[in-house]
Amino acid sequence: MMWLLLAGAVAAGPGASGGGSQGAGAPADPEVQRQAEAEERRKLEEQVARELGAPPASGAVPSAPAPGAVAPGGDPYARLLLLPDISAIGRGALAWNRLDAGSLSPRQGPVAPAGKLQPIFQELEVGLQAVVDPYLRADVFLTFGPEGAAAEEAYVTTLGLPGGLQVKAGTLYAPFGRQNQQHPHVWDFVDGPLSQSRQVAAEGLKGPGLDVAWLAPLPWFAELHLAYQETTPAFEPGGRRTGTARLVQFFELTEGVTLGAGLSAARLDEGGGGWRDLFGGDLYLRVRPPRGRAYLTLQAELFARRLSAMADPALDGAKVGGYGQAFLRLSPFWGLGARWDTAPGQAAGLPGGPEQRGSAVAAWYPSEFSRLRLQLSYDRLPGGREGLEALLSLEFSLGAHGAHPF
Amino acid sequence: MTSRTKPALLLLALLLPPARAGAALQVVTTTEGLGALAREVGGAQVEVTTLSRGTQDPHFVDASPVLAVKLRSADLLVDQGLDLEVGWLPPLVTQSRNAEVQPGGRRRLTAASAVTVLDLPTGPVDRSRGDVHPAGNPHFLTDPRRAALVAQAIARRLAELDPAHAAAYAANAAAFSARLEAALSRWRAELAPFQGRKVLTQHRTLGYFLDWTGLVSAGELEPRPGTPPSPAHLARMVELARREGVKAVIVESYYDTRSGELASRLSGARLVVVPGDVGADPQARSYQAYVELLVRKVVDALRG
Repeated sequence: MMWLLLAGAVAAGPGASGGGSQGAGAPADPEVQRQAEAEERRKLEEQVARELGAPPASGAVPSAPAPGAVAPGGDPYARLLLLPDISAIGRGALAWNRLDAGSLSPRQGPVAPAGKLQPIFQELEVGLQAVVDPYLRADVFLTFGPEGAAAEEAYVTTLGLPGGLQVKAGTLYAPFGRQNQQHPHVWDFVDGPLSQSRQVAAEGLKGPGLDVAWLAPLPWFAELHLAYQETTPAFEPGGRRTGTARLVQFFELTEGVTLGAGLSAARLDEGGGGWRDLFGGDLYLRVRPPRGRAYLTLQAELFARRLSAMADPALDGAKVGGYGQAFLRLSPFWGLGARWDTAPGQAAGLPGGPEQRGSAVAAWYPSEFSRLRLQLSYDRLPGGREGLEALLSLEFSLGAHGAHPF
Repeated sequence: MTSRTKPALLLLALLLPPARAGAALQVVTTTEGLGALAREVGGAQVEVTTLSRGTQDPHFVDASPVLAVKLRSADLLVDQGLDLEVGWLPPLVTQSRNAEVQPGGRRRLTAASAVTVLDLPTGPVDRSRGDVHPAGNPHFLTDPRRAALVAQAIARRLAELDPAHAAAYAANAAAFSARLEAALSRWRAELAPFQGRKVLTQHRTLGYFLDWTGLVSAGELEPRPGTPPSPAHLARMVELARREGVKAVIVESYYDTRSGELASRLSGARLVVVPGDVGADPQARSYQAYVELLVRKVVDALRG
């Protein structure tokens, strides 16, 4: 109906105008005629607007999209925008050890047979990271190593829970201590501290479960974690149901000086009424003048482990270990570090007492995406045996790897 | 109040969002340059916090969780974008628990969306070309024309978040643009005698500055973005500087100036250490003062 009326109006308009001027028989003044036509058009536009229920024409008509903004057929490459960030980080080392560390000093990290220069492929970590939807992001890290492939971590993180809460769910590192939650390629040293391997978990305390973190409404950073997971502790097979609690705080002492302090506790169900209790305290101090890229970090962790009501009563008891380290990034391209580490001796047949280890590392960073490190370590086993270890490690990073937490 | 209800109320109080100090909008910016623009536009209606200092290299800020606390109650987060802050901002945003400052959120403004971008890499892009920004050069605040566009974008976003003061934000942005426009004419007049002059820079941070000043880059001291100048590359740059009559080696204050000093001494060009951002120099407290200082230092060197 509306279209019929419109068509009528369009048909009638010019005819009425033309008939009027011709009927007068006078020579048409071009200016008058133009004004008349403009007036007719204005009336017609008003009529069209009335019929369509649209507001009278005023202001600029929205322009057509600029050429190029809408390509014919769309953008065939737009799907790439939806790909998650994909990255791969590879690590390998040339290792030499005077001791037979594999049997005398079991640990995480590249270990060579005694007296042999051994090339070791440590790990290839493949990361897939993206926002899932407006409520969640996901981080997946697959690791390929000499023992095969596994999901190092694969979890979702909530983005907007109220009350300062944040939940991570999936398979993830337990919120226990500082270094336990860091991937090896973030470490300043080529291997992890002995004390963490022995007291907490050989490959890091991790497993499926969830971690609920609450950020306290305080002027500094204070976060309380409560986690429930299945984890596998140091050098022992089988998962244990594990509850972990951690309070971590960060303070800006002065400009460029940040102090972090954490306390952690975990209880692992050893079955048959037995329990493994882990306690940890960690300190982290970072001094970084705003100008330039140099910084100094000091990091120390203390771990205590207590076994109680175990099926084998000989296992019951408590052990303590820990490490302290300093790392100086001299420039964008060079860094130096030193670490001292003490942990209970692990190998069978050794007398009781702690194993001590001192390490020094020199790192060269050709760019932000590769580093070459030389680490020299000196081990002193319970009973007095000593040995030197040398590790030359190469690491490279491809693609877009998400930035790491502090 | 019974002894049982007290702990419950305390817990409830801790779970509630932190109380705001005043009615002002809490604007958090990644850099001091963006902070200066937010202050110009927001006036008394905003309180501005910056996550980095003008003395810092904005590519390499520490992602201290203390900064995530600043984002928790932010009404607006303004970042530069184009991967400038990719090494430190994303974990802070995730830790902040503030869903609306996530990329694309109502309270997130990525300044790069307001400007046309230079140095978009063409052809295959990989890191053999150095630490490239694949989406283009993020150092656009060395161009006052683009800074004015960013200020207008901030004004529009503040108006959406705080409609009661929309007119004030628009008026502040217009007044700021007008002041910059007047200053721009003056700066251009000062720079007019040096059109087409070649300069050396440390990194491609000054691409936008060269774009509006009419100066031309003879080369960068870094052979590729983010890689250190090798002796061979520096020697080539010195030769180039001598051949092309380069009068100035321009280096931002957050870089190590040793390579610049050497290139300057061997080539005869003057080393100009310029503020890297607002706040990098006591004289660069506002955006206009920052550009003023940048122009003055470069003009002084080119005159010499």
